[in-house]
Amino acid sequence: MNENRPPRVSPIFPQGLACRGVVGARVRAGRMDRKVLLELKNIRKAFGEVVALDDVDFSIEKGGIHGLLGENGAGKTTLMNILYGYYHMDRGEISFEGSKVKIHSPQEAIRLGIGMVHQLSTLVPEFTAAENIILGTEGRRISFSTGGERPGILKLCEEVGLSFPLDVKVRELPAGIKQKIEIIRALHRGAKLIILDEPTTYLVESEFEQLLKSIKRLIDQGITVILITHKIREVLKSCDTVTVMRKGKVEGRIDRPEMDREKLVKMMFIEKEIKITESALPRVQLPDCRRSELPVLRVQNLAVEAGENGVGVHNLSFDLYGGEILGIASVSGNGVKELVEAMIHPSRLKEGDIRVKGESIRGLSTLEVFARGVFFTPEERIQQGILTEGSIKENVLLGHQGEKRFLRHDLFVNWEEAGKAARKTITEYGIYTPSEDFLIKRLSGGNIQKVIIGRAFVSQICLLITHNPTVGLDISSVEFIFRKLVEIRNQGDAVLWINEDLDELMMLSDRIAVIHRGELRGIFPRNQFDKYQIGLAMIGA
Amino acid sequence: MATTPESGISNRARGVRGLSLFLSSIQVYGIAIFLSFGVIAAISAILGYPVFEVLETLVFSSFRSFAGLKSTIKVSIPLLFTTYAFSIPFKIKFFNIGAWGQMLLGGAMTAVVGLLLADWNLPSVVMIPLLVLTAILAGGVFALIAAYLKADYDINPIVSTIMLNYVALQCVAFFCTARGFTDPKGGHPQTMLLPSSAALGFIGGIPYSLLLAVLAVLLVSVLINRTRLGYEINAIGYNPVAAQSYGIDFRKTIMLTFFFGGALAGLGGGLEVLNIHNRLLVGFADISGVNFGPLGVLAALVVAGNPMAVPVASFFMSVLLVGADRLQRTMQVPVELVFLLQAVIVLLIVITRARLSAKR
Amino acid sequence: MDAITTFVSQTVLYATVYTLVALGILIGGRAGIFNIFGEGILLTSASSGLIVASLTQNWFLGFLTGALAGGATGLAYIYVHETYKINQFLLGVIFFILGAGLSDLIYKLVVGVTLTPPIAPPTPVVGGRILSELPILSGFLHQSLVVYFMYAAILIAWWFYYGTKVGLETRAIGEDPKAADVVGVNVTLRRYLATVIGSILIGIAGAYLAIVVIKTYSSGMAGGRGFMAIGITIFASWKPQKALVGGLLFAAVEVLSFTLQIVAKNFPYQIPLMLPFLAVLLIMMIFKKRIEFPASVGKPYSRE
Repeated sequence: MNENRPPRVSPIFPQGLACRGVVGARVRAGRMDRKVLLELKNIRKAFGEVVALDDVDFSIEKGGIHGLLGENGAGKTTLMNILYGYYHMDRGEISFEGSKVKIHSPQEAIRLGIGMVHQLSTLVPEFTAAENIILGTEGRRISFSTGGERPGILKLCEEVGLSFPLDVKVRELPAGIKQKIEIIRALHRGAKLIILDEPTTYLVESEFEQLLKSIKRLIDQGITVILITHKIREVLKSCDTVTVMRKGKVEGRIDRPEMDREKLVKMMFIEKEIKITESALPRVQLPDCRRSELPVLRVQNLAVEAGENGVGVHNLSFDLYGGEILGIASVSGNGVKELVEAMIHPSRLKEGDIRVKGESIRGLSTLEVFARGVFFTPEERIQQGILTEGSIKENVLLGHQGEKRFLRHDLFVNWEEAGKAARKTITEYGIYTPSEDFLIKRLSGGNIQKVIIGRAFVSQICLLITHNPTVGLDISSVEFIFRKLVEIRNQGDAVLWINEDLDELMMLSDRIAVIHRGELRGIFPRNQFDKYQIGLAMIGA
Repeated sequence: MATTPESGISNRARGVRGLSLFLSSIQVYGIAIFLSFGVIAAISAILGYPVFEVLETLVFSSFRSFAGLKSTIKVSIPLLFTTYAFSIPFKIKFFNIGAWGQMLLGGAMTAVVGLLLADWNLPSVVMIPLLVLTAILAGGVFALIAAYLKADYDINPIVSTIMLNYVALQCVAFFCTARGFTDPKGGHPQTMLLPSSAALGFIGGIPYSLLLAVLAVLLVSVLINRTRLGYEINAIGYNPVAAQSYGIDFRKTIMLTFFFGGALAGLGGGLEVLNIHNRLLVGFADISGVNFGPLGVLAALVVAGNPMAVPVASFFMSVLLVGADRLQRTMQVPVELVFLLQAVIVLLIVITRARLSAKR
Repeated sequence: MDAITTFVSQTVLYATVYTLVALGILIGGRAGIFNIFGEGILLTSASSGLIVASLTQNWFLGFLTGALAGGATGLAYIYVHETYKINQFLLGVIFFILGAGLSDLIYKLVVGVTLTPPIAPPTPVVGGRILSELPILSGFLHQSLVVYFMYAAILIAWWFYYGTKVGLETRAIGEDPKAADVVGVNVTLRRYLATVIGSILIGIAGAYLAIVVIKTYSSGMAGGRGFMAIGITIFASWKPQKALVGGLLFAAVEVLSFTLQIVAKNFPYQIPLMLPFLAVLLIMMIFKKRIEFPASVGKPYSRE
């Protein structure tokens, strides 16, 4: 073997070109076979008029971690869902272990040895881990006890190095543990190929390291892993190959020796004018800004009862000043939802106080809080944020239906004024729509989020509370939102930014507060941002 | 920032959208009616009835004579009210199946108050508004019970309103047979006649209650489209979670929608008592073996619960009901067949609508 | 037989209707389908079952007809729901109206023609003289075969849902259909099965009501029991064993109301008649905190 000849990179079918531990310390020898495990050819899938996958080719060899990289909406999850039998492709061919197969349902995929861990948990919340793992397995259809299959499960856990309680109802377990259960669930059915869809969505840095360790143990057992992600950093850290998708098409495949950040960024995005970071985020600057003397928001000894599956808030106190963005880093289920609830519905406040510009908002109604200059954008865009079958106009009015400006004689809605406000929002935010009477559900995710944010600025505000505003959005929409947040801050108003993505928070926050199990674990000033430390605080370590 | 498109609201765009909606509605009704006629024709043929005559009687009885038209109007008034009673709460995705009970109670209370005040010799100009108000309040408050049970005890309104229907049924039976109210001479359980000051008359054979029905139509339209409450009702119907997060009071809205729905049904009942019968009698809210409750639900579903289209829907159903009655009298076709067919027609309309909207 | 035993016997007699309907509803509900048109099935199967039983003087054929009527209605319902994804409650109201209309029509067409009122043939009664002598217990045991069917159905359902893997998978569908789907459980098939089986049970209850309990047919004879059964199912948190308890409870209220009417002659009879319906509401209010629902009941499911 001539070691001076650089290996060729073929974009689509690298059969015969699989690296064999030749170049560089990054590649582990013998991890990947030459044998092709999976081939997807000419896959096409459309949902109505929207083409999600346009003639996609994807192939991987047995063994190793194969990345499937692309920004939100690129089609990665759709492609894997077709492989898993959850969706049906319109056209195309699948070959698994050398023979052509037709996969019409998850049952068939499972029988072939394909397992999938979805981005959002697909465990039954009411059942225990054991019950979830044995759900749907063949054999012993009638009488059962988890007892029969238990030893097998425990052995698996040991082999892979994952552990979790078997007999606790899943809804009481945190996201990181649920993921482990789903991995074991796939293995328990004899999966040879495991697809992980955005597994780090609910994990912090330290948990990601742990996950990688577990994945490597899986590889050692001979299992092949496909990792779906939009984070370049993850691919660079862990993948043997990466296939990059963009807007329903495959841009190419790169193997480990050739992987570098610039190449991947170029393949992922067409938008040349946006600078992209390693976490596939638009790079936006945070200029110096003097913060106000007095706090816009003061939370004092706040205590809130736990909601469903949450922990509530205990003795929480912090200040937020005008001219600053305060990032709240917290794993879902640790009290942040209750914090936002308390600020929006202070009538449910039990203990402690919340003051806006010095005045307490205890006991006020939501509309009264809005009247004090506070507004918010909800965590779940569609489920919590929009009137789904309503027009854009109706959606922009939401939250302002009590304001004098939009009412006539306190009883009738002033639709002219509402229309004006809607048109202003459409223009200012560049929302792509023919009119304000257009149904909001026809807008893209990014445009919907623009309406939700625009709604906040229909009337003057001094504090914006925003929760995961960029989830699932394309890169230009993310950039738009980032710039908007900075704009609000630079004007001297305050932003309370709750986000699970630490990369985003670290880019644009003046300070980051960590909340774990309803308590404040610390506030990091900008010059002390450390991803690992903050991540540890988020899981209470 | 991205370039902004023309922000001028394209009236053409709005017009085009409206037209396409209209066309798709026509599509739905057209297909459904075609299928329904097919079903009617098939069933008539199987049972041995002359198909063409059945269809002709069914559809055109209302229009062949002035008498037919009068009957249709007389039926469509109470039906209008029970259809509203279902469709207003339906806007916030709640099923008020209690329109029948609310109508019964409205009628019952109207008769009771009317009889209790009989000796006071109040003039019409006082009695009638007073009794109309009684009907409205009785129906509204009765419906509030179900709203309250949902708001505070999370009891499914389908269950509670149906249970309350049976309670209202017994109330009517009670007053029709109770000492002091009952009419000793009548063969049928009924109360005594209400005083003449409490009688709404007819003009040219058309009941005065029609005026109140028209008034109701206008009020509902204004309520839904132009008031703040209407906006909040629509918002909760679209997305209760979002609506509440942004300050809309869910509890208040449930209470008000059920109150309005019940009030309208109650008004319908009161008007039947005041205008048509001048007394309370068992079965006043029934027609041809069924009652205005489920008929109201069917009528509402014909137009997908849209309160604006309720008058048309209730008129349409009334035409079928009058036709059914005539079918039974002239061709011995059981009325139950038509009632069944109405349900089948509604089912076909609902399916067609679902199919077409899925394709879009 | 003393008064208490008579009371128990009457209660169990009526409870069979309530419990079978509640069981039928909960079988559908465990797979995510909220059946609110039980009343319609009761009426259709009462009318058709009684007529067939009367014409053939064969109780079994009558019950078979009732079961078929129920099964057919259930099949039509689940087909329309799964294929067109129409709201379950909306569709349920329509199917209730269909059932009510059909039941009257069938009766009118058949009996209107023959003009002879149907005569219900007797069903086999379990236990001879020995069982009938036992105090109180005889109320439970000296009953029609159909009542024993109800007992058996409850036991089988209980074992099925909590003792078998298939039952676990079915319950998963009611909690989170996607979770069941991704592990290979055939959600659509099980929903069909659950709805049809549940509707068959309700159909049997309807035939039972007409043939054994009331022994005639009249329009609307189900009297709202199909709807009350919804309340029972909710009160039972969708569990078979609790459905039996609920059925007995409400049947007891109904029997009590009959007793009151007879005993309190001067008291307006309408008030006892209202009791069962008010009882449903009251019980749901009292037990509000202890009621559980399968998380996805009533919600449609589709992959895309």
